[in-house]
Amino acid sequence: MLGEVTGLKIKILEYDDRSIRFLVENIPLALLNAIRRLTISDVPSMAIDYVYFIENSSPLYDEIVAHRLGLIPLTSDRALEKYGPPEECRDNEERPDCYARLYLEAEASDGTKVVYSGDLVSDDEDVQPVYKNIPIVVLGPGQKISFEARARLGRGREHAKWSPVSAATHKYVPQIIVNSEKCYGESCAKCVNVCPKNVLKIKDGRLVVEDELSCSLCRQCEKVCPTDAILVSWKPNSYIMYVESTGVLRPERIVLEASRILEEKAEQLLSELEK
Amino acid sequence: MLEEDGRNHTDRMINMVLVPVRCFTCGAPLGHLWEKFYERVKNGEDPEKVLDDLGVKRYCCRRMLVSHVQLIEELVHYSRPV
Repeated sequence: MLGEVTGLKIKILEYDDRSIRFLVENIPLALLNAIRRLTISDVPSMAIDYVYFIENSSPLYDEIVAHRLGLIPLTSDRALEKYGPPEECRDNEERPDCYARLYLEAEASDGTKVVYSGDLVSDDEDVQPVYKNIPIVVLGPGQKISFEARARLGRGREHAKWSPVSAATHKYVPQIIVNSEKCYGESCAKCVNVCPKNVLKIKDGRLVVEDELSCSLCRQCEKVCPTDAILVSWKPNSYIMYVESTGVLRPERIVLEASRILEEKAEQLLSELEK
Repeated sequence: MLEEDGRNHTDRMINMVLVPVRCFTCGAPLGHLWEKFYERVKNGEDPEKVLDDLGVKRYCCRRMLVSHVQLIEELVHYSRPV
């Protein structure tokens, strides 16, 4: 079905520490969607999996504190090479290269005290909370909390806390064609007002497409046009992909790891078939 | 408040007592934004503008902060027995 992928082109549209938006040309949708789904469910990252409580007199139960701890994003860029794979490390606390340990001990003396993710002391400098001021628990006067937490690599398919992305999407590349012979221009301009993404503008009395890529293909402009002068369509085999990291891995790393995992899976399938 | 089964209402609410670490729907981390958001809104800023400023784009994440009621400061005096 996929055939051979030729002439694949990638253009990065937006890029920062947390997210990447890029245009891919000449790629089958099934292939791109496979990569997208792997970023959600298969790219490994670090998260707390076990918590051993020594003391907890806070108003939150141990289970709730443990759940909150699990959701805290931990830096994983270097941990991917350092720690054992999720499948071998699950419930295998004896293996030395599987778990990173994080400790916390806090006590409120007089007033109330908020315990933050930044108070966690990690025994591995490569595995640290991404955000230092996530509240874990609030302690009242005289209350104490003390625990040891163990973090390991895991995959989103096991628990969403291990998913490195908070959004992974793709969409068609919009193409808006304006027939200037039919268009009334400034005297009509109904489409300009109806567009929720402000894609269309009037310039020098004529209708122009200003921000084509942000069009969501809703076709409100087509519907409202009295002379059918606008046609909304999309380019074949081209897509805009957007990946937003939770902070555990760099966004481009997530896409690269997902592609690598897809390659591994394909090779595994081939070798199984050849047997 | 007592429920029909005799349980205390607060037992069921307890994990919303403190701001959630992540958005329930998309999983984006939000817990670290709560204090900034709360302080700025308390000082009279428009919540819509504060959320835009903090980079909270999607409405699933925005409702997490906008609808949150921080009750833990009230409950903190009623610690369970150890």
